[in-house]
Amino acid sequence: MKANLTSIISALTRQRGVRGSLLVDETDGVIIDATLHVGMKGPAFAALAASLYRKARLSADAAGLGGVTFLRLRATEGHVCAAGKNEMVLVIIADARANIGLIRMEMLKALERVAI
Amino acid sequence: MADEIRRFSEELARDPASPVYLQLGEALRRGGQLDLALKVALRGLERHPHQADAHDLLARIAVDRGELERAFDEWDMVRRIAPAHLGARKGMGYVLFKQGKYVEAQTYLSEASELDGEDETVATALAMVRVKLREADGARGAQGARGAQGAAGPALEHVEHLEHLEHLRLFEEITSEGGEHTALLLDATGLVMAGTYVTQDGRDVAQEVGAELSGVSDEGRRAMRHLGLGDWSSLTVETDAAVVAMAPMRDDALLLVAASKAMPLGLVHRVLDRCVERARTWMKKGGA
Repeated sequence: MKANLTSIISALTRQRGVRGSLLVDETDGVIIDATLHVGMKGPAFAALAASLYRKARLSADAAGLGGVTFLRLRATEGHVCAAGKNEMVLVIIADARANIGLIRMEMLKALERVAI
Repeated sequence: MADEIRRFSEELARDPASPVYLQLGEALRRGGQLDLALKVALRGLERHPHQADAHDLLARIAVDRGELERAFDEWDMVRRIAPAHLGARKGMGYVLFKQGKYVEAQTYLSEASELDGEDETVATALAMVRVKLREADGARGAQGARGAQGAAGPALEHVEHLEHLEHLRLFEEITSEGGEHTALLLDATGLVMAGTYVTQDGRDVAQEVGAELSGVSDEGRRAMRHLGLGDWSSLTVETDAAVVAMAPMRDDALLLVAASKAMPLGLVHRVLDRCVERARTWMKKGGA
C-alpha cells in the first residue's frame, strides 16, 4: 500500500513545475505520504492546506454546491492545488509557470488510484 | 455528506415509512444527485401524499433541475396543505422573480414577510424584487409610458426606504451579464459587506457562506508564507455544481464569485477581476 501511494505521489512530483506533492488527512492535517523538494516545511504546510480545503468544503456545503472536486490557490510565485476524497486531500505545490490544467487532470486521475 | 446519506439510507431501509426520506432527499439534492433525490422524494410522496415538506422538497429539486413551473405547482400544493408554510411563499416568490414577474413575486414575498417578519432572507428577497420593480418603472418612465407607471405604482410602496440596501446590488451590473453567477464581499470576520448569495431554491445563504469562509484570507497568506510563494491573488474552488472564485481585498476582506459549472474558468476569473475593481472603488468611497 505504501509503495503504491509513494509511486502515485512521486509521479505527480515529476510533473513539470511541481515542487512537491502531499497526501494529507483532511481532519487533522497530518501527512499520510509526501514527496517534497529539499527545504520545504511539509508538516506546517500540510496542516494549512488541509484546513483551507476543509473550509472550502464546508462553505460549499453551506451554499448547497455539493462536494469540492478541486481547489487552486494562486500566488505571485506559484500555485497550490488540492483535490480530496474520503477525508484525504492530495496537495500539489507548483511554480508560477506550471501547466495547471495538466496538473489538475493528473491529480484527479491520481486521486482515483489512491485507495486506502 | 456521504456518511450522512449512508446513514439516512440505512434508516430508510430499516423503516420505509420513516420521514427520514425528507433528510435523505435533501442531502442528495445538496450533493447534486438530483435524479436520486427526485426518486427518493417521489417514493416518499407515495407513502405521505399530504406531507407539505415532501412537496416542498420536490419543489426544491425541481428548481435545481431547472423545472420552474413544476416547482411553482409543488409549492402551490404545499400552500394548500399548510397555509402558513413560509418556504412555499418564498419559493413561489423566487420562481416568479426568476420569470421576471416582479409584481406577483412581491405579493408572495409580502405574504412570507407577514408570516415571519424576522426572516432576513425574505427581507432581502423582497428588497431585490422592489428594486427590480423600481428599475422597470424607471425604464417605463423614460419611455414616456405613463399608463404603465400607474399600473406599477402601488407595488412600489416603501421604495424610498430602500436606499440603504444599495450594497446588495453592488455587483448586480456585472453578475447580470451572461450566465448564472453571484458575487459577495465579506469582511475579515466573514460578515457580508456587499452583494448577495441566493441559491437556486431562493435561499439567501450569504451569511452561512461568509461564516464558513471567515479567515480564508489569513490562511491563504500563511500557507503562501510557509511556501515562499508570495502574496496570494486568487482561490478557485470547483464543486459538483459550481465554481467559486475568491480574491483577497484590503483589511483581510474577501471577494467571492460563484458561477455555474458550465461557465469557463477563464470567464469566471474575468468576472472576479471586474468585481474586485468595483469593490475597491466602493471601499475607497467609504462603502466599508
